[in-house]
Amino acid sequence: MRLLLIEDDETLGEGLRDFLAADGHVVDWCRDLASVQALRGEPFDALLVDWQLPDGSGLQWLKTQRTRGVTTPALMLTARDRLHERIEGLDGGADDYLVKPFAPEELSARLRAVSRRSSGSAGATTGFGNVTVDLAAKRVRVDGARVELTAREWAVLEALVLRAGRIVPKADLERLVLGFEAELASNALEVHVSALRRKLGRALIETVRGLGYRIGDRT
Amino acid sequence: MRPSRAHRLPSIAHRLAWTVLGSAVIWSVAVSAAVWLAVRHEVGELLDDTLQGAAEAMRTSVDNGLPTLLPGTGPAPSNRYAWQVVAHGADGQAVVLAASSRAPSAALAATPTAGFLHTPDWRIFGTALGQPGRMLYVAQTQDEQLEAALEVGFSAALATLAVALLAHLWLRGRTVHELAPLQRLSDRLMTHDLLAPGATLGPAERAELQPMHTAIDALSAQLGQRLAQERAFSAHAAHSLRTPLAGIDAQLAVALREAPTALQPRLQRVRAVATRLQRVVAALLALFRSGVELQRSAVDLPALLARLPVDGLAVTTHHTAPIVADADLLSAALLNLLDNAVRHGAHTVRVSTPSPGVLRLDDDGPGVDDARRRMLLAAASDDAADDDLGHGGLGLKLASLVARAHGGTLTLPPAAAGFAVELRLDATA
Repeated sequence: MRLLLIEDDETLGEGLRDFLAADGHVVDWCRDLASVQALRGEPFDALLVDWQLPDGSGLQWLKTQRTRGVTTPALMLTARDRLHERIEGLDGGADDYLVKPFAPEELSARLRAVSRRSSGSAGATTGFGNVTVDLAAKRVRVDGARVELTAREWAVLEALVLRAGRIVPKADLERLVLGFEAELASNALEVHVSALRRKLGRALIETVRGLGYRIGDRT
Repeated sequence: MRPSRAHRLPSIAHRLAWTVLGSAVIWSVAVSAAVWLAVRHEVGELLDDTLQGAAEAMRTSVDNGLPTLLPGTGPAPSNRYAWQVVAHGADGQAVVLAASSRAPSAALAATPTAGFLHTPDWRIFGTALGQPGRMLYVAQTQDEQLEAALEVGFSAALATLAVALLAHLWLRGRTVHELAPLQRLSDRLMTHDLLAPGATLGPAERAELQPMHTAIDALSAQLGQRLAQERAFSAHAAHSLRTPLAGIDAQLAVALREAPTALQPRLQRVRAVATRLQRVVAALLALFRSGVELQRSAVDLPALLARLPVDGLAVTTHHTAPIVADADLLSAALLNLLDNAVRHGAHTVRVSTPSPGVLRLDDDGPGVDDARRRMLLAAASDDAADDDLGHGGLGLKLASLVARAHGGTLTLPPAAAGFAVELRLDATA
C-alpha cells in the first residue's frame, strides 16, 4: 500500500516509515502540513495522521480532505486518549484511532483492517476465480498452490485487489506501487504486471486500453 | 436517589414540625389555664351578682307577705335557688319559718348574717327582713357553681384547642412552604455538575440562599478553571511522554527486524521494558487525572518486581501477605522508590508485606536522620508544595499519590539501618 504518514516526531516518524516499508508499503513521510501540500493529488491507500502538528491540527486537515471528497482510509495517531477526543477524531473523518504509544505491529494490523473495510472485503482472504489472495499474510494461491511473489509484484497485486472491480489508471498504479520512483522507471509497472500474469494467469488482471488496469470482481 | 445516610440524619422539616406542634400544645395549655383562671373568677362574680339580685328581689316579695313564698309558689328566681326565711332568737336559736323545696331543713346560717357566706355545700347570700332577727337566705349549691364554671372553662378550652390546632396546621404548612426552596436547592445540587461548562445555579429563590448560590457558583468556576489547567497540563504531558515512547517502540521494532540473531534477545528484553514503561507512564498520567478508577487485583509481587529492573540494585522479596492493588499504579510507585534507592546509594532493597495491604521497602543505603525523614514525609504529604520536594522527593510524592489513590497512606518508619518506606494500600490496612 502507498501510505501518507504525517508525523512531526523524528524518532516515531522514522521508525514507522522503516517498519511499514519493511512490510512492503510505500511510505511518504511528511513532518508538517505544509509539506503535505506538495503531495496534493497523489493517490494513497491510507493516511496516517498525527493530531497535533507544528503548523496545525491534523484532525482539521483531515476534515478538510473529507469535505473535498477524499475518501482514502485514515488513521489518527495521537497521544489524546480521552473518550471525547476519540469520538471527535472518528467523527472528524478518521476510520480508526490509535493512541500513542502503540506497537507498530498493531498499526499494521489496523491498516489492513481499514483497507479491507474500504475495499468492501469482509475477511483477509479474497478469491478471484482460481486465485486466492490473503492480504494479511501476504500470500497468494492458484488452485490451492502457493505462489511466491516479489515485494513489488505483491504491491501491484495488493493495489488492484483493494480496488477490485474498478479501473486503476496506470499513473495511479505506478504512484501507489512505486511512489516517486515511478518517474524514474517508466516501464517498471508493465514488467510487474507481466510477471503477475505469468504467475497467476493472464485472465486475472485485465488491461483496459487507454485507461489502466482492472482486477475482476471477487468470487 | 438520596444516600441512605440522609434518612438517619435529623430533618429540618421534621424538627420544625415537632417544634410547631409542641408550641401549639404548650400555647393551648397555657391559654386554657389562663382562661380557666379568669373565667372561674368572673363566673364566680357573675353568679354572686345573680344570687344577690335574686335575694334582693325575693326580699321584696317576702316583705309583702309570706304566703306568696310558699314552696313552689315564689318568684321566678326562687326556682333556681334555695331559700330560707329564718328567725334568729335571742337565745341563739335559728328557726326556719319558710323554705323552698331545695333548701335544707336546718337553717343555712346559725347567726344572722347579711351578705355572702360559705358553707361546704352552699354559697349563701343573707339579707335582713323587716322584723328584727328575721333573715332571708338565698343559696346556691357549690356543685352548681362549680358546674357553671366548668362549663364555661371547658368551652373556652375547646375554643383554644381549636385555635391552636388551626394555628398548628397553618404554621406547619407555612414551614413546609418556606423550606421548599431549600429542598429544591438540595435536589438541584444532587444533580448539579460543578465541572460542567458554564455550570451555574443562577439567582436564588430566597435571600438567605443567595450566599450559598454565590459560593457554589464561585467554587464551580474555580474548579472549572483548575480542571482546564489540569487538562491542558495532562494533554501536554501526555503528548510529551507518549510520542517519544511510541518512537522508541517503533525504532526497537525496526531494530528487531534488522539486528543479527545474537542481538535479538537483548532487543526483545529492551522492548519488553519499554512496553512496561509505557504502561507505567499511562498509569501515572491516569493518576494525575481526577476521577481515575483503580483496577484492583491480586498482585504477584515477585513477578511484578522482576519486571522493574533497576541497574545496580538487587531486590529481594519476602512476600507473605496478599496485596490487592492496581498493578500499573503500584509498578509506578515501586519503580520510583527503587530508582530513589539506587540514586541514594543503596545496593539492595528488601520488599516485604508485614500485613495484608501493607508493602514495606528497606534499603541498605546510608539512610537519613529523623529531621530529614520528617521533612521528606511532610513534602510527600497532601498539602506539600512541589517546591518543597527537593532532590528525590518526587519519587516519594508519586508513591504517596499512588497510596492515597488506593485509600491508604505513605509513611517513612524509622529504620535501624538504611531507609524504609511503607505503603498502606488500603484505608483499613
